[in-house]
Amino acid sequence: MSKFLIIFLVALSVLFTVELLIPVQHHVIQPFTTSLATVSAAIITPFDDNVISSGRVLRDALSGFAVSIESGCNGVEATIVLIAGVLAFPASLRQKLTATLLGFVAIQALNIVRIISLFYLGQWNYTIFEWFHLYLWPILIMVDVLIVFALYLRWLSGPNNDSQLTVDSHA
Amino acid sequence: MRDVAFRQQLLMTVVLLPLTFLLWYASGPALTYPATLAAGLLLEFWVPSVVAEVFTEGVELYVVTHFGDANGTVVPATQADHEIAFKINTRLVSYGVPFYAALLWSSRVDSLIGRFSVGLFGLWTMMALGLVAIAAKDLMLVVGAPFLSLGSVPPMPIIGLAYQTSVLLIPSLAPVMIWLFQLRDTPLWRQLADQLESSRSSE
Repeated sequence: MSKFLIIFLVALSVLFTVELLIPVQHHVIQPFTTSLATVSAAIITPFDDNVISSGRVLRDALSGFAVSIESGCNGVEATIVLIAGVLAFPASLRQKLTATLLGFVAIQALNIVRIISLFYLGQWNYTIFEWFHLYLWPILIMVDVLIVFALYLRWLSGPNNDSQLTVDSHA
Repeated sequence: MRDVAFRQQLLMTVVLLPLTFLLWYASGPALTYPATLAAGLLLEFWVPSVVAEVFTEGVELYVVTHFGDANGTVVPATQADHEIAFKINTRLVSYGVPFYAALLWSSRVDSLIGRFSVGLFGLWTMMALGLVAIAAKDLMLVVGAPFLSLGSVPPMPIIGLAYQTSVLLIPSLAPVMIWLFQLRDTPLWRQLADQLESSRSSE
């Protein structure tokens, strides 16, 4: 368990620091965040054609209300936590890559729900918006990470899985 | 049905979240008081030449500096007619408490109050450090050179990293880490261990 914890914390620190580097922000994180706004707008538009996406901003043409997707709202940190957990847990490279890819999809799917919900909550009630934005959604995204990781553990321990699990005696 | 307990655990956590968030909101500053007190003491001890006073009003932590503003330039407060101060929303670092409470209360563990007290102490420590990191970021941006030139103040990238970690990662991750640590030797933990052991033996 201690080995898992050390690898997890080291991977978390390294990945989080790398994410904050300016070149990574410029070439990876910001374009990705922009794509989240585009995808969110594409999902909303069939139901609400007043939505405009511009860069990282989602705007309602009628009310003028807009949300800008910033660091912490793009699900990248949650993905980093998941990747650190997957890296720290003994498994084959194929299993780790699969878990990372599917986990990323699961986190981003919920994150797009978060973005869309915040866009409408903000137009309805700003206090509620702030509550969901600052306090509730970060927790729900972390619960999502926990669920994904639990499913990953279940998959690894499945009878047909060729996992190479080796865990410390206590874990 | 190997992982029923874990699924029940996660489901109960989600069910309990509204209740724990309500309790957290209703408790106001009381639940975070030790953390805000520690953060204030840490700031006043760390940079006494910059921080004049730290106090709380409701859930806001106010940091008053020894500096003022004169025509857009930061000067000692004695040369200005005011002191630069800023407030920090302590809920930005304390929303992990209701999450931790939901995780722990949905677990089948003994000594619930004892475990919660220990976990809360751990969270207070994280919250205090988080508040110091947020204040350091604000001091870096608002006061600038007089703060950054102090020998005890780390370089700007470190302050930035500490701030980002304190706001983006710790509040939601620390409760999970503490909860998992406290799960050791519980039936749920043993079940997970058995699950892993069975997969190892099936190889």
